[in-house]
Amino acid sequence: MSTSASVQSVSRSGSAFARRLAGSPALRLSGRRLLSAIPVLWGVTLLSFLMLNALPGDAASALLGINATPAEIRSFSIKLHLNEPLWTRYGHWLAGVLTGNLGTSLASPQSVASIIGQRLPVTLELVIYALIITFVVSVPLAVLCARWPRGVIDQSSLVLSMASISVAPYVLGLFLVILFAVHWSIFPAIGYTSLGASVAGNLHTMTLPSIVLAIPLIGFYTRFLRADLVEQMQSEDYVVTARAKGVSEWRILTRHALRNSFIGLLTVIGLNLATLIGATVIVEEIFSLPGIGFELLNAISNRDVPVVEGIVLVFGIAVVLANLATDLLYGVLDPRIRHVRARS
Amino acid sequence: MASATAAGDAAPPDVRLGPSPLLEVSDLRVTFHSRAGNVYAVQGISFSIEPGQTLAIIGESGSGKTVSAQAMMAILPRTAHVTGSIRFNGEEMVGRSERELRDYRGRCVAMVFQNPERSLNPTMRVGSQIAEAITTHLPLDRKQAHERAIELLRMVRIPAPERRFYEYPHQLSGGMRQRVVIAIALACGPAVLIADEATTALDVTTQAQIMDLLLDLQEETGTALLMISHDLGLAASYAEDVIVMYAGKVVERAPTKELFAGVRMPYTQALLDAIPRIDTQPHVLLPVIGGRPPDLSVIPAGCPFAPRCPEVQQDCRDQAPPLKQHEPERWWACWHPYRKGAGQ
Repeated sequence: MSTSASVQSVSRSGSAFARRLAGSPALRLSGRRLLSAIPVLWGVTLLSFLMLNALPGDAASALLGINATPAEIRSFSIKLHLNEPLWTRYGHWLAGVLTGNLGTSLASPQSVASIIGQRLPVTLELVIYALIITFVVSVPLAVLCARWPRGVIDQSSLVLSMASISVAPYVLGLFLVILFAVHWSIFPAIGYTSLGASVAGNLHTMTLPSIVLAIPLIGFYTRFLRADLVEQMQSEDYVVTARAKGVSEWRILTRHALRNSFIGLLTVIGLNLATLIGATVIVEEIFSLPGIGFELLNAISNRDVPVVEGIVLVFGIAVVLANLATDLLYGVLDPRIRHVRARS
Repeated sequence: MASATAAGDAAPPDVRLGPSPLLEVSDLRVTFHSRAGNVYAVQGISFSIEPGQTLAIIGESGSGKTVSAQAMMAILPRTAHVTGSIRFNGEEMVGRSERELRDYRGRCVAMVFQNPERSLNPTMRVGSQIAEAITTHLPLDRKQAHERAIELLRMVRIPAPERRFYEYPHQLSGGMRQRVVIAIALACGPAVLIADEATTALDVTTQAQIMDLLLDLQEETGTALLMISHDLGLAASYAEDVIVMYAGKVVERAPTKELFAGVRMPYTQALLDAIPRIDTQPHVLLPVIGGRPPDLSVIPAGCPFAPRCPEVQQDCRDQAPPLKQHEPERWWACWHPYRKGAGQ
């Protein structure tokens, strides 16, 4: 009797745990977001499939080169199933994706999944490294600017920020290569060492590309955060309360205003992440980094449809996950959102 | 009459009441400079507060009462230009360095603000906001500040203070939040507590609770209370002395009982008439003060209330009446005051 009672209580507490887990606002939000992402991802793959199809040339002629005879191209096309109708090919690919198979590259015998598995870590590292550099520079800089609005630091940072936002990444990339790689030989111009091979070597090759990626973001985030901080300091009543307590301006900025301003900054970062992922394509090409963007450009010029589709899918998922992470972070930063979610 | 200068009450009379003023304001002027022109928000006011006294400053919006309070707290924005003198325990506070003023704010003079919805930091636990007020001025460690904060929460009659310590402002009702703001203000035992429209944003029941709490705490701690309000009725129920401000000037000052026994200044009478009474007939329009509030960017030659005054005569338009002591403990600035008992 006592045994059955204890078993019952265990199962009850187990189900209570499951209920709490299912009732967790963060989890429910994640579930909703991921479900609603499915049609978006499907639309993105369909669009890129159609666009790739609209481009002149196909994988057979691209891979065989300009010296291939029409007969060779035709037989290669049949081998790659390129002679089949558009919808059959897309349906075939989609069916594969739904069963977890991204297909095989047309240009090489490698599977798309293994190509992405190899290339994705490089791009991920690039994005994370760039974001770290961005934060390390722009948060303290924005605080300094907001401490003395229209002061020397603020004005010079305004000029530099505008310049950094205006310049195109490929121009900036080449400029930094000339400066840091050719002129001073601090960083290599191209090449890649994996994180597994050597951490120092990896940082040596990844720093310059990450800086190129980070510079426009630094300009943008610094201005945004600075504007939001100044706004908080000038018009928020809680700042007046803190001043009336005798708290110093520095402490009000860093302890009170900064956290409130981060909520606004988060929105911008969320909107910005897709652009950042797009920029990695150019930066990887400039620095010959074997990332997913580099592979994407290759695949497009080869008309390697399965690889392009696979990478587009990965980019789409990355954007969805980044936005989800942003939304979850709102709850961490803003207790009001946390509690509203918990109640709904 | 002819001896008064054209600019108004240039030589303020000594309005000291008791033997040793705690806070003494004399000929305080606050001007906001901007490209659009100057705004003369406070045009030479003088008064003093004794330890433990309850003084009310009454006036409509734009009368300069809040700006005066902010000047006393030294929390005016940088665009404000302050002249005159504010002495705390005999020490001049106008023109002090920011560092010295930080020491003064919260410790000598503290303030309760109008809008409890906005005067607390939404991203910070209320306990931490109280503890911050404590550690800013007192050499206490985290644990001691925590204990003192809970003590303060208990002092402002917040139930379950140990739990409330960890809550965020949005989890508290408006009245509770205002209690937290009061706890912050009392954290370092200030000698003067300024309540700037502290109950305006609250409903009537909560309003009475907060006012009673303020008076109880005043009795417990012996702090002087300076109530800033537009509500003459509130002053009648709670303050010992009343100062009426209009257009940046003091126009009447009297002990509360005497003021309500017989108003001298027509503006004060107009304020009184605008208070709804329980015995007013229903569906009868409340009397309002005709005309527009004064434009503070120009200093008129005559009495600032002249354009709206029912008793106006030619000399009012020509020359501003100075604030003078006409009876024991009674001051007014008017050429044609109501007689004792008249005008009611």
